[in-house]
Amino acid sequence: MNETFENLPVSIDTLPDLPQNDFNPIEKAYLKVSLISSGVFFVILLIGAFCLVYFNSDEIDKVVLAYGLSIGSIGLLWLANIIFVSKAFPKKKYALRERDIIYMKGLLWSTRTSIPFNRIQHVEVKQGPFERFFKLNSLKVFTAGGQTSDLVIPGLSEEKALRLKEFILGKTSSDGVDS
Amino acid sequence: MESIAEKYSTPHRQSKVAIGIILIILIRQTIKAFWPILLSVFIGGKNGTSFVDYIAYIALSFAALNVFVSILTFFRFYFHIEDGAIIIDKGVLKRSKVNIPFERIQTINFQQNILHQMFGVVSLEIDTAGAGKAELTIDALNKEEAEAIRQFILTERKAVIAESEETDETSLEDEKGEVILNLGISDLIKIGVSQNHLRSMGILFAFVFSTLNEITDDITGLVESQVDGYESFFANNQWAVVVISILLVALISFIYSNISISLSNYDLKLSLKSKGLKLVRGLLNRQEISVNKKKVQVVSWSDNPLRRMFKMYTLQIAQASSTDAAQLKSKIKVPGSYQHQVDRVAQNVFPAEFYREEQKNKVSKLLLQRIIILSGVVPALIAQTLYFAIDWYCLLFLLWIPLLALIAGMYYRKRSYEFNEELLKNNRGTFGNMYELLQLYKIQAIQIKQSWYQRRKKLANVTLFTASGAVKIPFIDLNQAEKLEKYVLYKVESDKREWM
Repeated sequence: MNETFENLPVSIDTLPDLPQNDFNPIEKAYLKVSLISSGVFFVILLIGAFCLVYFNSDEIDKVVLAYGLSIGSIGLLWLANIIFVSKAFPKKKYALRERDIIYMKGLLWSTRTSIPFNRIQHVEVKQGPFERFFKLNSLKVFTAGGQTSDLVIPGLSEEKALRLKEFILGKTSSDGVDS
Repeated sequence: MESIAEKYSTPHRQSKVAIGIILIILIRQTIKAFWPILLSVFIGGKNGTSFVDYIAYIALSFAALNVFVSILTFFRFYFHIEDGAIIIDKGVLKRSKVNIPFERIQTINFQQNILHQMFGVVSLEIDTAGAGKAELTIDALNKEEAEAIRQFILTERKAVIAESEETDETSLEDEKGEVILNLGISDLIKIGVSQNHLRSMGILFAFVFSTLNEITDDITGLVESQVDGYESFFANNQWAVVVISILLVALISFIYSNISISLSNYDLKLSLKSKGLKLVRGLLNRQEISVNKKKVQVVSWSDNPLRRMFKMYTLQIAQASSTDAAQLKSKIKVPGSYQHQVDRVAQNVFPAEFYREEQKNKVSKLLLQRIIILSGVVPALIAQTLYFAIDWYCLLFLLWIPLLALIAGMYYRKRSYEFNEELLKNNRGTFGNMYELLQLYKIQAIQIKQSWYQRRKKLANVTLFTASGAVKIPFIDLNQAEKLEKYVLYKVESDKREWM
């Protein structure tokens, strides 16, 4: 099975391992950001359900049932969402190495994306409305590999995001993308 | 060569034929935007004559407007060459001036539709590297002029690049190249016959239905009104109607795919050059595309059961492209290539010494099991709930399981990947075969993905992102996936060659 790996001119074992334990976590405050943004979505859903029931029924016993069903199910979904988001949060982490950047995420589907610095097209620091409130930033790393391969690392302090950006840009230019 | 620089140092207009060509582009756009209305006029014409007149006037005024705009566009389009750059000044209402330095030009392609061919002109398309609005088109130029300009730009560009980086760049257009593939009439027939007819049938159906949908909301009503007189015939011969309509659709889609494939691939010539490939093809719309081998990201070839009888493949060469809009052109499709031609292309664009058979790594057997359970057994069992509606007939759905197992088995047997220090080849297919070949160092990013189930079984899906699409390898050992990841990263990071 591993014969192909042995035929390579470089022995795989001499290559540096991907870091296992020294991944950097993202800022704790980002958990609040994701909880708030999904919270907003569920509040709007609740208001919608409330209005729908409020304007559509007259009989008192049916109204209670309708409220219970709609608001109860949305509430359950919300609860599931809160649990899921908080469980998935610690899975988001990143690592910088000499020549590449690695980002891991996902609870049910875990993914690990690695991008070598010399394939990075450009880097962007972004901030959404909730992120601004908590003074957090997202770092977006673009490659020529299309949207699915672009990296977004959320929940970075402004200072860290800018430093990462500078670091990556310094690396990409020194590695020489085109020469 | 100097004469060209002098000749084009002052702003030049295009060939006068451009007026006609711009006009046709505009008319085509207008018709594209308004054709449902036009069609409804033709179909519902008998309803009221004043309405038809009204539409006719509008159509006429649109035509007049189109003529006017195309003339204006023509007179407001200048190009000239200055200081190693081509400058285009255009636009009637929104004026724009584009300046493209020669060294940023990647390829210069010619395109000829039937009008171009009649007047002996070509449209010149300049493709540049870099994101954004990078493409530039001159609608009509005399063929000799265009050749001269292209020659001039490419030699100048070579000089500029040689100064800055001293690469021994000889441009693609300089040499004649060796023609390795020339499709004749018999090849075209073979390709047409072995097309994926199911797909063209699907396209045809989608087209007919979307057309009908735009004209009328009441498709059944329309059909009923059209077949009014034949009701009794249909009622008595239902099976005949079904058979006839299936045969008719099959025949039409067969003819349609044959004609469209023959027109676009007429007299296709693929030639190899030291720096890449050149493709010329088409009857009504003659295309000429050059591919620099540096920019080639993925070479893939595929067949289907029909095409395998002729031992033919559809060869695709995907190159990194500047804009998303140019995606279509960034993939070159050559139907009807034989294995030795595929080999020649692969050896030409990739380092030939690494193009060889390697040990095939199978994917995990658990993939087969997963497919059978998730898309075979589970749906078949769910279908058993139909018992309440259709009684014991629901047991027929159980036949789905062995059928799917058979198909999944075919898929699993073909699913493998092989690689060496330079190339990775991905083999897949169910009824046909599909092979994807890529250079490891051109990979942009690598992703390892695991579901909850795969984590338990220590398996992973690997996705390799290239500048022209992703290549996926599902269900391999996590250990193997990590080794592959490590090796790819090492390869990308240590290789200093250009990847586009």
